[in-house]
Amino acid sequence: MGKKALLIIVYLLLALVTCVMLTPMLWLVAASLKSKEDLFHYLFFSPRPSLANFRLLFSDIPFFRFLMNSFFVSGMGVLTQLFFSSLGGFALAKYEFRGKKAIMTLMLATMLIPGQVMLGPVYQLIYHLRLMDSLWGLIIPGMVSVFGMFLFRQSMLKIPDDLLEAGRIDGCSEFRIYWNIVLPVSKPMIGAFCLITFMGAWNSFLWPQIILHTRDLATLPIALNQMVGVYSREYGTVMAGTVLSVLPVMILFFILQKEFIAGLTEGAIKG
Amino acid sequence: MNIRSAKFFLLQRKAAPYVFLSPFIILFLVFGLYPLVKSLILSFYITSGPKARIFVGLDNFRFLMGDRDFHTAVKNTTVFTFFSVFLQLPLSLGLAMLLNHSLIKGRNFFRFSFFSPHLFGQVFVAVLFGIIFAPQFGLLNRILHFFIPQIPSDTKWLANPKLIMPSIVLTSLWMYVGFNMIYFLAALQAVDRDLYDAAHVDGANAFHRFLHVTLPGIKPVAVYVMILSTIGSFQLFELPYVLLGQSPGPDNAGLTIVMYLYLKGFEAGDLGYASTIGWTLALGVLVISLLQVRIFGMWKREA
Amino acid sequence: MKDKRHRLDFLIDIFPFGTAPFIILMITLFASLWLVFHPAVRKKGNLSLWVFAHMHYNAYKKLAPEFEKSHPGTKLDLQMVHITAVTSRLRSAMWAGIDVPDMVEVEISFAGTFFAGPVEQVGFMDLKPWLTSSGLYDRMVKSRFAPYTNRGKIFGLPHDVHPVMLAYRRDLFEQEGIDLSKVATWEEFAEIGRRLTIPGKRYMIQLSDSGHGHIETILFQRNGGYFDKDGNVILDNEIAVETVKWYIPLVAGKDRIASDIGGGVVFTKALEDGYILSLLCPDWMTKSVEDDVPRVSGKMALMPLPAFEQGGRRTSTMGGTMLGITEKCKNKELALDLTKMIYLNREDLADRFRITNIIPPYKDAWDHEVFREPRAYWSNQPLGKVFIDLADDAPPQYTSPYIWVAKMKLGEVVASCNIYYSQNGEKGFDEFVRLRLKKAADDIRKLMRRNPF
Repeated sequence: MGKKALLIIVYLLLALVTCVMLTPMLWLVAASLKSKEDLFHYLFFSPRPSLANFRLLFSDIPFFRFLMNSFFVSGMGVLTQLFFSSLGGFALAKYEFRGKKAIMTLMLATMLIPGQVMLGPVYQLIYHLRLMDSLWGLIIPGMVSVFGMFLFRQSMLKIPDDLLEAGRIDGCSEFRIYWNIVLPVSKPMIGAFCLITFMGAWNSFLWPQIILHTRDLATLPIALNQMVGVYSREYGTVMAGTVLSVLPVMILFFILQKEFIAGLTEGAIKG
Repeated sequence: MNIRSAKFFLLQRKAAPYVFLSPFIILFLVFGLYPLVKSLILSFYITSGPKARIFVGLDNFRFLMGDRDFHTAVKNTTVFTFFSVFLQLPLSLGLAMLLNHSLIKGRNFFRFSFFSPHLFGQVFVAVLFGIIFAPQFGLLNRILHFFIPQIPSDTKWLANPKLIMPSIVLTSLWMYVGFNMIYFLAALQAVDRDLYDAAHVDGANAFHRFLHVTLPGIKPVAVYVMILSTIGSFQLFELPYVLLGQSPGPDNAGLTIVMYLYLKGFEAGDLGYASTIGWTLALGVLVISLLQVRIFGMWKREA
Repeated sequence: MKDKRHRLDFLIDIFPFGTAPFIILMITLFASLWLVFHPAVRKKGNLSLWVFAHMHYNAYKKLAPEFEKSHPGTKLDLQMVHITAVTSRLRSAMWAGIDVPDMVEVEISFAGTFFAGPVEQVGFMDLKPWLTSSGLYDRMVKSRFAPYTNRGKIFGLPHDVHPVMLAYRRDLFEQEGIDLSKVATWEEFAEIGRRLTIPGKRYMIQLSDSGHGHIETILFQRNGGYFDKDGNVILDNEIAVETVKWYIPLVAGKDRIASDIGGGVVFTKALEDGYILSLLCPDWMTKSVEDDVPRVSGKMALMPLPAFEQGGRRTSTMGGTMLGITEKCKNKELALDLTKMIYLNREDLADRFRITNIIPPYKDAWDHEVFREPRAYWSNQPLGKVFIDLADDAPPQYTSPYIWVAKMKLGEVVASCNIYYSQNGEKGFDEFVRLRLKKAADDIRKLMRRNPF
C-alpha cells in the first residue's frame, strides 16, 4: 500500500509543478494567437485562432530585421567564443609553459568580479574604438569567455596524452592536433558550451541597451522591451514577438539537451 | 624529416600555447583588465556624461554609505537573495528528489518542462510576466480570483510597493527552480546506492537516510549551487527593470544594486559613482562568498 | 555505405566542431548575408525630429509635405519614439555623439535632467536670443518657460500651457441640489465632499493616493513646488507641509472623499456610474475623458479649481512638452523654420485644438474662433475659452537636473504619509509629515551639494 500511494503522490506533485511551469508558456502561445477582439474575452485559447498578431509583427515592426540582428550577434558570438575558448582551454590543459600559473590565477580572479563594474569603462572604450552603435560592438567585447575556457580545460584534461603524441609522431602541427584530434573528441562539451553561450548572447539586454542607438540595429530583447510600452493594451502582438524570440533557444536546447546537462553538472560534481 | 623542418616542428610546439592563448590575452587586456582598472580609478571621480570629471577621492564611498536609496537597493537585493537561497534551493532539492524516485517514468519530459522556463532569459520572462501580472486581464489575477473570489481581480502586483518584491521572487522562482534542480538531480544520482542500503540495514528510516546519507552526499554540489545562486542573485537587474517598466517601481520597491548602478551611471550620467557602486558590490559579493565557503566548506568532494 | 562515410569525414575535417555549431554557422551566414543586403538605415533625411506623443506625430506628419515643398532639398525624418525611450535614447545619443536628433520633444518631467553638468555641455541650443530678437518671448505664456530654463538659458520651446480645471458630473450634483460652479474654495468643496461621499459607492473626486502626479498639481496651485526659480529645493517648505497635511486625509483613512481608481476601463465605468463625481482635468485630459467615457456626454462640465483662500489662484498645471533643438543640429536655421511652422502657425494650432483640445501657449493664436466653439460634451461650454481664461494664471514649474529625483521623492513621501495616516490618523501626523518632507528634501540637497558642475 505504502509504495503505491507514495508513487501516486509523487506523480501528483510532479504534475502540479509541471502545470505551474507550463501554464505561463501555454498562456503565452494562446495570447499570441488571439485576435484583437478576443483578447479580453477568453482566458486561454479562443475558438478562432488567428495569425494576425504575427502578421502585424512583420508588417508594422521590422521584426525580421531584429531577428536577423539577434541571430547574427548571437551566432557570431558563439562561433568566435567557441574557437578562442576551446583553443585557449586546450593550451591550458595540455601544455606546460612559463607564466601558466600566473595567467590562470589572473583569469580566476576576474571571474569573481561582477561584470557590471566594467560597464562604464567598456562603454567609453567602445566609443573610442568607433564601435559604438554597431553590432560588432556587441560581439567583440565578449569574444573571449573565461568561463568557457575553464570548461574546455576541464574536459580536455581527460584526453589521453598518447592520442596527442600519436598525432605528433604522424607529423601533425600543434594546431592540427587541436583541430583534428582534440575537437572531435570534445563534442559534448562543445555542445554544452554552444547552448550556454548562445543563450547568454541571445537574451542579453544590458549591453545592447547601452551600446545600440539606431532603431534598426536593435536585438530582440531591446525591441521587445520597447514594444511593451507601445502595445501594452494589445498584448497579443507583444506575446507573438515573445514566442518567436524564445523559440530558437528552445529548439537549440532540444537538440543539445544531453550535452548541456552533462556539461553543466560536470563542473559541479567533479569540483 | 630534415633538420630544418624538425627545428621548425619543435619551435611551433613550444610556441603553440602562447599562440593559442594570444587572442585571449589581447582581448582580456583590452576588454577585461583595462576596464577593470579604469573603473577602479573612476570610482574616485564624479563624472557627468563622458567628458566632464572631477577627482573626489574617497568621497564617493563616503556618500554611498549614507545614500538612502542605496540602502533601499541593498535591502531589496538582500531580501531577494535570501529567498533565492532559502526558499528556492530547498524547492529545487525537493523537486530533484521527487524526480529521482526510481520508479518514475517520463523523467526526461519532466526535466525538460521544469528546466525550460530558464531558457527564456530574464528579459523575455519579464515581458511575459509583466502581462501575466496585469491588474484586469492578467493571467494570475484571473486564476486567483477564480479559485479564491476574495482576492480582488484588480490586484496591482506591480504597482503596489508591498507586492513588488513578492512578485519578483515569484517570477525568479519560476525561472530558476528547474535550473538548480538539474544540479541537485545529478548530485542525487551520483550518491552511492550502497550507502543507502547500508543505512537501511542499520534500521534508519527515510528521514534519517535523508539526513545522514543524502545531505552529506550532495553537500559539495549544494554548496556550489548556493554560492552560484548568491552571486547571481546579488547581480539581479534585468528582471525587475523590465518587469517594472524600466523603473525601480513606486517607492523604489524594486530597486536592486545593479539597477541603481545602471540608473546612476547611464541615466543620471555619473559613471564615477556607478563605478563606486560596482566595486562596493564586488567587494560585498566576494566577502559573502568567502564567508559561505568558510562556513559550509569548499565544494570539493570530501574524501 | 563507404561513400557516405567518406563524405561525413570530409565535413568533419573542414568543420570539426559538430552538428550544432554547424547549424549555428549556417544561420549566422544567412543572417550576415541578409544584413549585408539590407543595411541598417541610420539617418534618413536631413532634419530629424523625435516625438513621443501619437497626436503630435500625426499632426506633424500632415505638415511635412508642405514644409519640404517650401524648403526644397529638405527631407524631414519624423520618428515616433516611446516616451521612456526618448529619455534614455536621447541621453545615450548625446553622450556618444551618435544618432542625435536635430529636434526632439521632451516631456516636462524629464526635461530638467538634460541640464546636468557644465552648462556648455548641455545638448540643447539656447533659444533665448532667438526668442527675444523675434519678440516671441513676450507673445507666449511666460510661466511656461520655467520648466525648460536653466542657469539663465532657455533650452526648449513650450508646446502647451495645460491649465487644470475641475471636471465634474454636473447632472449628479444638480440632483443633490448643488451648483458646483458656485463653490470657490477647497474648504467648501471638501465639506460637500464629506456630505456626498458614500464609502464604497461614491467619491467626491478622483485623486491618486500614491505617486507625485496629483499632489504636485495642488502644490503648484499654491505656489509651492520642487524648486524655486534659483534651483533651490523647496520641497519641505511650509506650503508643502500644509499641502501634504491637507491632501492625505482626502485620500486616506476612513473619512476620505477621494478614490484612487486608475484609468482605462475602470475609469470609464467609475465616471459613468458616478463612482467618482469629479476629477482634476488639464486641457489634454478633456480629450481622453471624451474618448473613454462617451456615455456621459452633455452631463459633464468644467469649472476653475476651488481656491485655497478667497481670491486665490484657481488653476494649476499638469504635464507638458517642450521642443528642443540639439546642439548637434547642423542646420539650426532650418530647424527654427520648422519650429515656427509646427508651433506658431495659427491655423494649424486651431486644427490641432479641434483634435486634441490642447490650447497653445502662443497668445497670438488665442483669438481664433475655434476656441470659442461650444462643446456639447461639456454642457455647451466654450472649451478653449475656459482654459484660455486661466492660461496666464498657470503657475511656473521651476526645474533642475534633479527634477526627476525630486518627483520620485515626493511620491515616496505621499506613500509613507498615506500609510502613517491610515494607521494613526491625526496623531503625530504634523511631525511625521515635516520629518518625511525634510528627509526627502535633504536627500535632494545632498545630491545637489555633491554636484561640482
